[in-house]
Amino acid sequence: MNASTIARPFRQLTWRHSLALFLPALLFGYLVANQAITQSERSALAVRYNAPLVDAANALQKEQNDLKTQLADLRTKLDAIQQAGATQSGIAGDLSRQIQDLQTRSGLSAVSGEGVMVTLDDARLPANANNLEKSICHNTDITDIVNTGWRAGAEAIAVNGERMVGTSSAYCVGSTIMVNGTLMSPPFSIAMIGVQGQLMSLFDDPRELADIKSRSQANGLIFQVSRQRDVRVPGYTGSLGARYAVPR
Amino acid sequence: MRKSRFGIVAITMVALLLGVLAVTQYRAQDVFSRSLTAENASSLTTLIAQISDRNSSLRDEILALQLRLDAAQGASQSSEITLRELRDQYQQLQVAAAVTPVSGPGVEVRIEGPFDDRAMSDLVNEIRNAGAEAIGINGSRVAPRAWFSSSGTGVVVDGTLMTSPYRVQAIGSPDTISVALTRTGGIVSQFGLIYGRTRFTVAQQKLIDLPAAANVEFRVAKPAH
Repeated sequence: MNASTIARPFRQLTWRHSLALFLPALLFGYLVANQAITQSERSALAVRYNAPLVDAANALQKEQNDLKTQLADLRTKLDAIQQAGATQSGIAGDLSRQIQDLQTRSGLSAVSGEGVMVTLDDARLPANANNLEKSICHNTDITDIVNTGWRAGAEAIAVNGERMVGTSSAYCVGSTIMVNGTLMSPPFSIAMIGVQGQLMSLFDDPRELADIKSRSQANGLIFQVSRQRDVRVPGYTGSLGARYAVPR
Repeated sequence: MRKSRFGIVAITMVALLLGVLAVTQYRAQDVFSRSLTAENASSLTTLIAQISDRNSSLRDEILALQLRLDAAQGASQSSEITLRELRDQYQQLQVAAAVTPVSGPGVEVRIEGPFDDRAMSDLVNEIRNAGAEAIGINGSRVAPRAWFSSSGTGVVVDGTLMTSPYRVQAIGSPDTISVALTRTGGIVSQFGLIYGRTRFTVAQQKLIDLPAAANVEFRVAKPAH
């Protein structure tokens, strides 16, 4: 009789103890596992001998910026000569005026006017979040947005200051995006000049850019379109070099 | 009394460990980062090749423009050289603005079967990235402002319906463009997996003729300085 009264509270106590320990143990296990996964991913990403390659890529990008500046400088000097020629009469004068017109048409000169500004950015998420692919911006999101812009009658578009011309591309290697061969990282500001009402009505159309809009709703991808009274779109600074195509 | 003290010690130790782990975990989980250091060696090598290519074509153009500038400045009296310089630049801009029919070597991609507007847009993007100077789809020039949309029966390019078989022609370096398209894991092999019933053929061409694109208008955009 005595033994049973002692044994009962003791049994209840162990049961309560094990319950109290069970939940922390569960959490502990989860955290250990999670920690192990995160660490293995990180060590695979941060390979030691990547450092010289990263340095090389950065050095080449810096060189490219310098080359673009040199090219822009040369174009300005040649423009001055042509503009002087444009006042002449005869063939040289005609050619110079046509060249100025073509520079505008091919996107070499800066333009401004009313339009919209589209912002695209990665969701603020931890590195091991679910659906990471859906939460970050891809080069195809940029081409889709630019496509919508042209369709809505945009007259000039630039992605983070890179003018979109007939030879422009938004490319992706790994998770790095290049526009016109220039390394870029989010956020992306896509400047568009065009009739504001036309641009807004296509961007507001739920059928347009449906994938980006649903990822912005469900996965935190940042996508915003805003009206701008005065959008400035710079001229193209890359190489034009037509080496294969010859006018007929 | 002894038993409950043991319980308290055990729970405290678990809580302590939990706390340490929670902190380490939090530190390890920094925000997803786009830095180049997160790329693997193969991606970095591709990136480097891409930037080098751009830089060498920039260097070529700088050299050509420098020669033109020297000629133009040295021969300010001689209208003959200035005229040649103007003609060269005029031709180059005519190609860039797609205002004139052009000819040259390149690559033809033939697509027979179901295909869609986003894939067509991706293909054009890939071809442009490979350095194409002029592109045509089913005999029409792809304008600098070209847009793509879907239609039940085909792909709409700049408002014109195109249907299978699609003939995408690109004037540019035949080797560079065909390698970019057909490399392992490249866009054509991806298309092959996605559009199982569609046939894709990539062939180099000695001479491609493309027409001019429709004229572009500037109504809202004004010159900025």
